[in-house]
Amino acid sequence: MIWLTFINYGAWYVFIFISIFWILTLLKNREHVAGRTGRRKYPSLSVIIPAHNEEDNIEETVKSISKLNYPKRLLEIIVVNDGSTDNTKNIAMRLKKKYNFRLFNNKINKGKGHALNRGIRAARGEFIACMDADSIIEKDIMKKMLPYFDDPKVGSVTPSLKVWKKGSFLEKMQHAEYILNIFLRKMLSFIDAVHVTPGVFSVYRKSVLREVGGFDEHNLTEDMDIALRIHKAGHTIENNIEANSYTLCPNSWKTLFKQRIRWYRGALNNYYNYRHMLFNRKYGNLGIFFLPANIIAITSLVVIFAGMAWGYMRSTVDSLWKINLVDWDVQVMLGTFDLESLSLIIATPLILGIIGVLIGGFVLYKSFKMTEGGIKEHKPTYLIYLLVFPLIMMLFWILAIFHEVAGMKKKW
Amino acid sequence: MTKKRLDKEILIYTIIISSLLFFGGVFIGYNINMDRLSDIQKEINNVNSDVDNFQLQFLFFDVLGENATCPLLKDTLANINKKSYEIGSKITLAGQEGKIQDYSEQDNLIEEYSRVSVSYWLLANKMKASCESNATTILFFISKECDNKIPNPCDDQGYVLTYYKEKFGNDLLVFTLSEDVEEASVHVLKDFYNITEYPTMIVEGDKYENFVSKAELGIILCEHGMCV
Repeated sequence: MIWLTFINYGAWYVFIFISIFWILTLLKNREHVAGRTGRRKYPSLSVIIPAHNEEDNIEETVKSISKLNYPKRLLEIIVVNDGSTDNTKNIAMRLKKKYNFRLFNNKINKGKGHALNRGIRAARGEFIACMDADSIIEKDIMKKMLPYFDDPKVGSVTPSLKVWKKGSFLEKMQHAEYILNIFLRKMLSFIDAVHVTPGVFSVYRKSVLREVGGFDEHNLTEDMDIALRIHKAGHTIENNIEANSYTLCPNSWKTLFKQRIRWYRGALNNYYNYRHMLFNRKYGNLGIFFLPANIIAITSLVVIFAGMAWGYMRSTVDSLWKINLVDWDVQVMLGTFDLESLSLIIATPLILGIIGVLIGGFVLYKSFKMTEGGIKEHKPTYLIYLLVFPLIMMLFWILAIFHEVAGMKKKW
Repeated sequence: MTKKRLDKEILIYTIIISSLLFFGGVFIGYNINMDRLSDIQKEINNVNSDVDNFQLQFLFFDVLGENATCPLLKDTLANINKKSYEIGSKITLAGQEGKIQDYSEQDNLIEEYSRVSVSYWLLANKMKASCESNATTILFFISKECDNKIPNPCDDQGYVLTYYKEKFGNDLLVFTLSEDVEEASVHVLKDFYNITEYPTMIVEGDKYENFVSKAELGIILCEHGMCV
């Protein structure tokens, strides 16, 4: 079984390598982390809000867009009610009178991609922002994102996406994850390898959206698909770490599970669909480096998790089996327990794990420092996030791979 | 705006730093394991000295007689008994963890431990005959052949023996011998008792092949005066 040990060690090396790469990328580009400023002319902007069963949140979303610090004559809001079965349509019709936006209604649910494309076809703006209906934005977000479009090669600019409501323990843990993703997206922008344009106020040139054919209406993760197509068409995607948008995240394990299975299956599908980009110089750093590295990194983390899970399961089963041999006389066997036996766990895998956690902790700390000035509260939660959440996400990855291989039905 | 290139300098520094961290971790783990094996070696050396001491103490019989010598021998035996069994467990546990290590070093330890166990067993039998001890001796033969079976019957038997050792303390003397070592004295005993199956226990001269459950071993020990 020595090959299993080598694979496990290899997986740790990959994790350490990629983490160190991002830390060094940050060090090299630390003076460019802050957002750019100063665009003289405001272009026309259409904000498209696809909504399916968002009666609880759509009002806040529309209100947030209406408060955008942007010339009103150049701002167009389009809401696409995508076959909602709750009160979204009625609420949207009421809000239309107050906030003066264009409303389109799909009689049946056709999916987010379709709703976005319907909005794009109707949009009059030179720039398009896509906005999930369970999200809000800060009012200066457009001013912060526009300067990046001075470069004609930029096809899209992504915001700094954070968790809107952080009440529960699960939401706080996802907040840490989103903060880490903000860091990663910024680092990716330094090497022109941003591979996802989040659905919460990513801004696109309408010409680029038309050039790439709009959103894929059958894709579970249309935000990743469109980003890869934008790169494929020769455009770049930038990021402003100071342009804040906020979204609701799952507040139960069940909804988190459903969301992550969708995300990860979507990612697997996209990696497969865009496999011709892997190691392809034509697609720059995204093709040569990031996409292959990301696949290897995910595989490594799955291997590490599977190794740990296998080890824990084997130890547990072994312990239960042995205790059963002596008719569950635990009291007698406790006499054999000593600290020295416990010290046997101090071995290379544990040491590599400690190194991994320390590096991960440093990256998390820098992420918080860049986005929120530091970790001001809930420190124990973020420590738990560091130690536990990745293991849970790796379990979700394994389940997503299983769902995909088994050909299970895809659900939004 | 010029196309962003992957910074080769960053890549080189990344390879250097991550390699330092990774191989540093592997090196620390390797050294911890080597220290562990070294500690076990020291403990074996200590037991070896105790066994030599034990042999020496037998010479007191002629000078001081049975009444004065037997308590001394029993104390020494109890001391060796505890240390010896702990060493056996440590070697087994360290091996079970399946870490990358110097397997030859571990094999050397098992060989040396087996040699010490044989000496200890011989002296324990001699002491029992001289001092009318009630201790029950068990020769416990194991083999790497057991690793091919699920569950591992040698490990399972070891666990049951540990249970009874906890119960009976110094009244139960267990001597673990590995069939895989190149130690002549172990092979002499193996041939004498015609050991062909693993695990096998020789309980006060009686042979019991393959795994013996807790209940069955309890009955066997009770037959030798050790009842729970």
